[in-house]
Amino acid sequence: MYKLSLDHKGQPAQSVIRTTDGACIPFAPDNTDYQQFKKDLANGVELKDAEGNQMTPEQITTFLATLP
Amino acid sequence: MLTQVPSGMLQTTAQFYSMKNRIINGAMQVAQYSTSSITAGNNGGTSNTYSAIDRWGYLSTQASKFSFQQLSASPPTGFYNYLGVTSSSAYTVLAGDIFTFNQVIEANNVADLQWGTANAKTITLSFWVQSSLTGTFGGCLKSYGNNYAYPFQYTISSASTWTFISLTIPGPTAGTWNTGNAGQIYCFWGLGVGSTFTSTAGSWQAGNYVSANSSVNVVSTNNATWNITGVQLEVGAQATSFDYRPYGTELFLCQRYYQLGQTGAGPMSNTSITGAYISVPFNTAMRTTPTAAVVGTPSFENMFGANPTITSIAGVRGSALSGADLSLGLTGASGTGVTGASLVMSVNSTTSGIGFSAEL
Repeated sequence: MYKLSLDHKGQPAQSVIRTTDGACIPFAPDNTDYQQFKKDLANGVELKDAEGNQMTPEQITTFLATLP
Repeated sequence: MLTQVPSGMLQTTAQFYSMKNRIINGAMQVAQYSTSSITAGNNGGTSNTYSAIDRWGYLSTQASKFSFQQLSASPPTGFYNYLGVTSSSAYTVLAGDIFTFNQVIEANNVADLQWGTANAKTITLSFWVQSSLTGTFGGCLKSYGNNYAYPFQYTISSASTWTFISLTIPGPTAGTWNTGNAGQIYCFWGLGVGSTFTSTAGSWQAGNYVSANSSVNVVSTNNATWNITGVQLEVGAQATSFDYRPYGTELFLCQRYYQLGQTGAGPMSNTSITGAYISVPFNTAMRTTPTAAVVGTPSFENMFGANPTITSIAGVRGSALSGADLSLGLTGASGTGVTGASLVMSVNSTTSGIGFSAEL
């Protein structure tokens, strides 16, 4: 399960939090945690927005399209 | 004047290469993650988990079937450390199960092997291994893309006796092999692998295999042990002496994939004492922009009041080269005028800090 977050300026962070261990994963294409994050989302793993709301499949699809 | 090279001085041409051994931390010396015993979790068997000895990951499709640790009690002659694995039960391996230890070699470090071409070079894989069990054990070399594999077997004839294994493997002229900073070669040692992921030993073949058919399953005997060290993968058709590198060099090589940041500084938020933005330098360039995680309880110095504790890392950014900038969630800070104050990470423990992972 993953959660988006806000950075120190209150802007959307260019990273995602893996909630099972609190690791913060950058949106970096060569990072294997990031590669796994994208695979997990494609397989229906849960993603919450920065406010903790469950994102719908449509919202996740739109979000994925913005990622590198 | 030197007129003759003494016999034995030039043992092999390979010995004079830098990075003769393409395996990093083959002597199991570096354990930044932990030196404690770790119980393997279920990671699905598709993506490595690293939690003890650097560069050595495991795959496990069931939880709590084996534990592992960096050990030094009874290594083979010439080595100080080894990876020790102990089975936690007498588990019957299912067809889709994978229990392995492995190392992924970055493509940059094996580009000269020219695997996947007509000029693919032969390599020799050698290692010291010991088990409470005897028989024919399995392993595999595989492309990181999981589509081309060379299952192999090795025999341990005497229980609880260190045995030197040397396997010469022809370079594959087919298959898809990554380049650059991606993984290229998986080197697997099977602890119990189901039939879905095993095949006949001794040849390159298309498929996603991690071990050879009919091999010993360590996880199927409660309290069985399996230990390994001195792992070397080198160019050529014969095993040569282990490529001991300075410890500092080996540590640097490991830190390309994982390092523990223990120094850093930055301001707390100018609107809140529950957030901060700090920069943490890397000891060496990493393979890619890393994942960041709090390890242990790193401490911070706050000159205006109580020192805060990290509650979360809310954001990470930066390059792979020099360092990362972290947006932190904090608790416990106090003091007049504390917002916007400088915060300095001050770690006095070898087991606390910010863990940066760019593993494969």
